[in-house]
Amino acid sequence: MRRTVLFLIIGVIYLILIAAGLGMVYTAGEPVPAKEREIAKPDNKISIAHAEIFGKLERPQVIFDHKKHEEAAKSEGCGTCHPVNDKKKLLFSFPKDVKGKDKEAVMRAYHDACIGCHKQKRIEHKKSGPLVCGDCHQDKYTLVKPISYPVVEFDFERHDKHVKKLKETLGKDTCRQCHHTYSFEEKKLVYKEKTEESCYYCHDLDKKRGPEVAAIIKVSAEKGLSMQNASHQECLNCHLEIRKKKGEKEAGPTECMKCHTGKYKTTAELEKIPRPDRGQKEKSYIYVENAKLKGVSFNHQTHQKYSKTCMACHHETLKACKECHSLTGKPEGKNVNIAKAYHDMFSEHSCAGCHSKQTAKKECAGCHHNIVAMDLETMSPRKDTCALCHTGKEPLPMPAPLSTSGLKQDKIKEVTVKVLEKEYEPAKFPHLDIVNKLAKISNDSRLATYFHRNIQTLCEGCHHRSPVTTEAEKNTPPYCRNCHMIVYDKEDLNAIRLLTAYHNQCMGCHDEMKIKKGNSMVFVEGGRCAVCHKKKKAGPAELTTVKNQRVYNQNKKIILNRWRPD
Amino acid sequence: MDRRDFLKIMGSGFASIAGADLLIPKRPLASTPGTEFYGILVDTTRCIGCRRCELGCAEVNGLPLPDISESTNQTVLKTPRKTTDRQYTIINKYETSEGPIYVPKRCMHCNQPGCVAACPVKAMRKREQGHVTWDVNCIGCRLCMISCPFDIPKHEYSKAFPRIQKCNLCWDRFNQGQLPGCVEVCPTQALMFGTRRQILEEGKRRIAANPGKYVDHIYGEYEVGGTSHLYLSAVPFEQIGFRNDLGTVPYPEYSTGFLYAVPFIFVLWPIAMLGMNRGTKKENGEEKEEHHGEETDKGKH
Amino acid sequence: MAGEKLETVAVAAEKAESPKIKSFGDFIDFLKKELKPEGSIATPFNIISLPIMLLGYVFIVLRLASGLGKPITNLSQQYPWGLWIGFDVVTGVAFAGGAYVLCFIVYILRAEKYHPIIRATVLNGFLAYLFYAGAIVLDIGRWWNIYNPMVGNNFGVNAVMFLVAWHFFLYMLAELVEFSPAIAEWLGARKARKILGAMTLGAVIFGITLSTLHQSGLGALMMMAKSKIHPLWYTEFIPILYFVSSIFAGLSLVIFEGSISHKVFAYQLDEHHKEQYNDILVGLSRICAVVMFGYFFLKILLVVHGHAVKYINTPMGYWWLLEMIGFVLVPCFAFLRGAQREDTALIKFAAIITMIGIILNRLNYTFIAYNWYVPLSEKYWPTPIELTVTASIILTEIWVFRWMVRRMPVLREPPAWAKAMGHD
Repeated sequence: MRRTVLFLIIGVIYLILIAAGLGMVYTAGEPVPAKEREIAKPDNKISIAHAEIFGKLERPQVIFDHKKHEEAAKSEGCGTCHPVNDKKKLLFSFPKDVKGKDKEAVMRAYHDACIGCHKQKRIEHKKSGPLVCGDCHQDKYTLVKPISYPVVEFDFERHDKHVKKLKETLGKDTCRQCHHTYSFEEKKLVYKEKTEESCYYCHDLDKKRGPEVAAIIKVSAEKGLSMQNASHQECLNCHLEIRKKKGEKEAGPTECMKCHTGKYKTTAELEKIPRPDRGQKEKSYIYVENAKLKGVSFNHQTHQKYSKTCMACHHETLKACKECHSLTGKPEGKNVNIAKAYHDMFSEHSCAGCHSKQTAKKECAGCHHNIVAMDLETMSPRKDTCALCHTGKEPLPMPAPLSTSGLKQDKIKEVTVKVLEKEYEPAKFPHLDIVNKLAKISNDSRLATYFHRNIQTLCEGCHHRSPVTTEAEKNTPPYCRNCHMIVYDKEDLNAIRLLTAYHNQCMGCHDEMKIKKGNSMVFVEGGRCAVCHKKKKAGPAELTTVKNQRVYNQNKKIILNRWRPD
Repeated sequence: MDRRDFLKIMGSGFASIAGADLLIPKRPLASTPGTEFYGILVDTTRCIGCRRCELGCAEVNGLPLPDISESTNQTVLKTPRKTTDRQYTIINKYETSEGPIYVPKRCMHCNQPGCVAACPVKAMRKREQGHVTWDVNCIGCRLCMISCPFDIPKHEYSKAFPRIQKCNLCWDRFNQGQLPGCVEVCPTQALMFGTRRQILEEGKRRIAANPGKYVDHIYGEYEVGGTSHLYLSAVPFEQIGFRNDLGTVPYPEYSTGFLYAVPFIFVLWPIAMLGMNRGTKKENGEEKEEHHGEETDKGKH
Repeated sequence: MAGEKLETVAVAAEKAESPKIKSFGDFIDFLKKELKPEGSIATPFNIISLPIMLLGYVFIVLRLASGLGKPITNLSQQYPWGLWIGFDVVTGVAFAGGAYVLCFIVYILRAEKYHPIIRATVLNGFLAYLFYAGAIVLDIGRWWNIYNPMVGNNFGVNAVMFLVAWHFFLYMLAELVEFSPAIAEWLGARKARKILGAMTLGAVIFGITLSTLHQSGLGALMMMAKSKIHPLWYTEFIPILYFVSSIFAGLSLVIFEGSISHKVFAYQLDEHHKEQYNDILVGLSRICAVVMFGYFFLKILLVVHGHAVKYINTPMGYWWLLEMIGFVLVPCFAFLRGAQREDTALIKFAAIITMIGIILNRLNYTFIAYNWYVPLSEKYWPTPIELTVTASIILTEIWVFRWMVRRMPVLREPPAWAKAMGHD
């Protein structure tokens, strides 16, 4: 009897386990990965995580309130925590002395410094910080992304402000205050006039540069002078000094978020700001001895306005391109020859590359996303484009703004596309309005005006693969159906048929130019199709006539409802 | 007539009967004759989510026509759907890093389909031209549904006489020299029909000619041994509802291990057992009879 | 009591002459007589089972009339196989594996110890295939085409299902041949009895071969669901796992069902048989213990080999642990202990736990660990109709089994003239 009861009890336990197990398994679903949170308001706090040293953290990161500590150590000064170099300048790194670069050493250094100080304060009966692990490595910061402040863009406006301010206070020798270079002979920083450059050249430790600059970068790296450390050291020391002498109002910012605003000026906003004077020429004539094409007349002054930094073009050093890029390539220029240096279509530093990037802007992309300046298969450029730059000592004059007044207005005012009319009404296309709009966009841009020398260039945007001059001469409009078959070409199933040609060309332009109406991805009231052509009230409901007869007959018997398009 | 002529006539007679039986397309769509797999290249960067492919498919197959007005589309496309026994192809919308992307989902017409390998009556067949079709000698065992890595075959549970429904690449239309219904009505030619070789070439050409526009991978080129529906995408395929853990092993190969063992077991097991039976035989069966005698005695208490 | 009455009936049957059936008319008369119920109809078992069975038949008609959709079944496009195929067919066939194992032991290895229960086991196997594999007709969508894998020119020879279908059919025939001596004895057909007795060994060998292949074949059906079955269950060796588990599944059913029939039909058993039964149970439990241990070890090996150990610490992993430890390891040790101490109660308990474990295992492959990542709203639950129909089929099978055991020499000794022939 007892045994039977025992068996029954075990049986019941089993049943409960099965029920519980099934319940758990049926609601298990897929595991949802924990989402990483971001701290919305960093508030000048600093994350101590050092993923590059510790990898995956065992304990949560420490969020360090610098301001609190600044207040606490006010009397003792920054030197309590931060090391000072031989020139009495603060180095904004922490901890003061780290004996080695491995995990143990770094952790020990932090613990010694932080906990040591907290212990000391406690002994002195002053307000102190945490001593226990979990109070600094707080659990709530486990899934939080480490705080990172946005990069500071020291744009021309800021530079100009500094130049003006320093000129005011010092009068001369203003550049020397910040700019320097490293001398291998003297093994220290020196200043040479008219060689001032961006800090990034020598202090951007991640970038691979040519042999000359790479040697200097090596020195920067040895001294731990990354962009972050170098700029903090340079800027903050100066600002702190001025704050001490003249008070907070006169000095520059010393709080993280005051420099790291995350707000950046656009190229347009910086256009009017005078560029730093390095003795650069207004115009230069770029040519190569015994070259096949004429040289290029380059207006440096206007081009200065088109980028936010000099580094956009002077990517390695503030010298002329020719000095590193020779006809056949030099080691200094990474063996990139001069043709590639000026013409590389995908580089941001070359002339052609930058121009190509401009055509990717939404005002231009409508036509330009389809136009290849270079035939990718034969790798040969369009010959008519070369002559626009290679003009010799004098550039081509700027052409007159484009206008449609010279065209046959009545013929191009409105185009009705009714060749494919079936389910929808014919589409009425405001041709003249569009050409006028494109002309306006072109006239608003110097680059566009220079290259679109006449109105016929604009026609090419849509009437592609059709010689412009011939079309202009002929009396008949260039129909799309002249090249695009109305039905599928069974011999070439990839060929764009007429329906596709209209849809992809028209919608493609609207998509690239980010125009809401007529866009292929943006739902509008009334439907996307209705923007160009309304659906016919009555009309053929059948799109296709040939059926899959066997399947059709089987399925017809089970039709539940037929939706008739309105 | 002599023997040679007789054989010639009989041979040609049989051949003509057999030839008429096979469903050879009357006019191959591409210029290449012979039998190559046909498929569709789906370029998701061209798809605008208008769902006309769903309408065209429903029309040519006699299915209920879906409501594809734009206002309905906005609701329908909110959550990813699956194909059903009434819809052989559907469009799904995915929000990705490149904005909304629309993806048509339908039978992939694998090179070596799991459903075809699973079917005990060859109701699921892969035709010579690559179409995977369903036929009415099906017994409704639904093993094809279990074996499809893409979950495509759909069973008509609501009917007393159910069928398995899925896209068959418009096999009937193909045999009349027509394109599949979805390809014919797509306004942006997001669907390209052709031989697998052609569409694979075209897919690779598009990737090479538009650097940065597509992810450098054609989904279906090698997945599950290769499929005839190839997909191009601007974002990694997991973001648009494709599984990337299906491997490149064709699905029928997962059951070949077992099937190859069958002949061995069929031959070796009987031999082994006969051997064991003979080996354990007692001498002349005397003991066995004795044993029986004992039992009989005992039984007669 | 009823038992006494039956006892006299049985003894009378022994003493009576075998029926003389000379013509078809005689056969019909004989059958009518045999179909008359012995004893009272209103036993508790009958009262409970009959309504369920009748309800089940109604539902079957409904299912044939309206298809497999709701509310008949909860099958969906995500879960094409549910209770009917998962439990009736796959689990039922696993349980029927006792027949081939016991045939192997008795006829091939000649372990006469188990001879007394061989007929009951074979009958059970045959009925199991007839009813459960027959339940396939209910579950496939286009049941009027059921003969297609057998007949015609469209054999899907590359399909595991084709193999399984043919094997079910052939195995039913083999089992019928194995059991037919009992039918011949029941009908008094001496010549037939002689011929059929001689065919037994052949049928047994054929049956074991077929069994090996279709027990593992049921597992091979799931091989192409690699992307849908949880890694802790999916391996390339599923067929082997199914085959090995069918051994102890079948034997567990033999123990379970044997215990019940030996109580219900105790009046048919002679002393020798009753004495031996304990030994038989102990022997079977030893076999189960060993095979289950091997199976457990095999599973562990396959999980480690398939890099699936990391999944054990997940909800599905806990479910797997429950199945492995609670329903394989625990009964394995229970069998071992029961065999050591000849504790039949423990052995029977272990058998029940094993059977539940097998049901869980097969259902895991069908709809629990299959598409395990699907959200709860789309999961599969058997409907009450499915449960009723399943219960009805099982109960019908029990009724037929009961009728055959009562009338035919299954548990009781065969007539003297049959024994004299040898071969049984």
